[in-house]
Amino acid sequence: MAKNRTSPDEYTRPLRRIMVAVLVFALLALFLVWRIDSPRVERFRTALVDQMVPSFEWALVPVTKTIDMFESFQSYANLYDQNQELRRELQQMKAWKEAALQLEQKNARLMDLNQVRLDPKLSHVTGVVLADSGSPFRQSVLLNVGARDGVRDGWATMDGIGLVGRISGVGDRTSRVILLTDSNSRIPVIAQPSGQRGLLSGDNTSRPPLEFVEKPDLIRPGDQVVTSGDGGVFPAGLLVGTVVQGNDRRLRVALSADYERLEFLRVLRSHAVDPITDAGSLVAVPASEAPSVLTEAPGQVGP
Amino acid sequence: MMATDIRSSVWFYRIGFVAIAVALLFFKMLPLGSVAGDWPGPDLMLCLMLAWVTQRPDHLPMGLVAVVVLAEDMILMRPPGLWTALVVIATEFLRARSALTRELAFAAEWLLIAGVMVAMLLAYRLLFAVAFMTQPGFGFAFAQTVGSILMYPVIVWLLRVVLHLRKPAAGEVDGMGRRL
Repeated sequence: MAKNRTSPDEYTRPLRRIMVAVLVFALLALFLVWRIDSPRVERFRTALVDQMVPSFEWALVPVTKTIDMFESFQSYANLYDQNQELRRELQQMKAWKEAALQLEQKNARLMDLNQVRLDPKLSHVTGVVLADSGSPFRQSVLLNVGARDGVRDGWATMDGIGLVGRISGVGDRTSRVILLTDSNSRIPVIAQPSGQRGLLSGDNTSRPPLEFVEKPDLIRPGDQVVTSGDGGVFPAGLLVGTVVQGNDRRLRVALSADYERLEFLRVLRSHAVDPITDAGSLVAVPASEAPSVLTEAPGQVGP
Repeated sequence: MMATDIRSSVWFYRIGFVAIAVALLFFKMLPLGSVAGDWPGPDLMLCLMLAWVTQRPDHLPMGLVAVVVLAEDMILMRPPGLWTALVVIATEFLRARSALTRELAFAAEWLLIAGVMVAMLLAYRLLFAVAFMTQPGFGFAFAQTVGSILMYPVIVWLLRVVLHLRKPAAGEVDGMGRRL
């Protein structure tokens, strides 16, 4: 009986060990390839997600809506308090609205006087959030717009108010937005009245810290933070949030975008700025040509 | 014949496992406004696989585990292959000890699983550090492992109640008359 128990296993066990070793080796090799040549594997990943997730769209959307509905039922309980609070806020907002209207008219008049043309190329595509990153350690969302809508890597994404993140990974039908809170996100920003430049680097918390600021003393909590456009990837002047001081006394940014309700996102079409390659013939004349300009000048003045 | 009962078929359980895995992935990906900095929940997928392999190692072949976790790696934006390799090693470790865990009391089995989960976390973080990749804070990641360890008995109980999945009794045979 004891013989019977071990007989089939005895022969397959060494073979099985080899198979496990080969599989683990292959998986680690895949990881190594990803680490060395990440873009190739990431392209494959994007294509895979692009194939799989939209085929679940029919189920993703209704289930999300249903769960959202149940959550909003719970909030009906404190409807009265909410209503009172909203009324108070509305009173304050009316005053602000008056001020904003006056400023808008003034702004329009001044622009007219200066003959300012707004950049006509800055348009946007709106996408619906299909899916989350699904992991508590990665902060990204999947949009239902992709290469067929002209979306490209690196474009800025906003909700109605503030910057949300940047496109990273574009499939044919979907594209992934790395949120500002993700630990891989780095965005050049400028804190507004002081003009201090820094880097907003996500660290997987809801309030990413401001780093590499030259004079942090000049930045006060409550200052506005907008993108600076350094590096040429992002358009400048997009609202990011306001500065707050974290519990660890670091400068952090409370983001303006409503991260709890990311539903519709705008992808801003930003066109690549033409790189300036030559020194510019007017500003800096090459040394070899400089004398010829000087010698001809008197000749022309003469007659 | 035992083979006519659908529950006795290994393939019923394999398809069931894949269906549960797809459902878990689907619910994880729903955009329900999870905010950065929230405490991470337990890794239900890991609990499910370790519980299943401990109860019935014959249901989950190595290849199936690898394919499911690799798909999860790809879709959840994890470094592809690394977590899969660790899960394969962990399930093979438990599979090799299935004769032992069959005779253990549940508390001892739970302790063993907890040890495996913590070892997986440490190995994962070590390999991240070796590859110079940014990783979340240790407390944050450990919270997830603690959650998974606490969730493990619930998963085992659910498997037993819903799928009638339990360790084979001594001397039990399958539909083909082979010893389990």
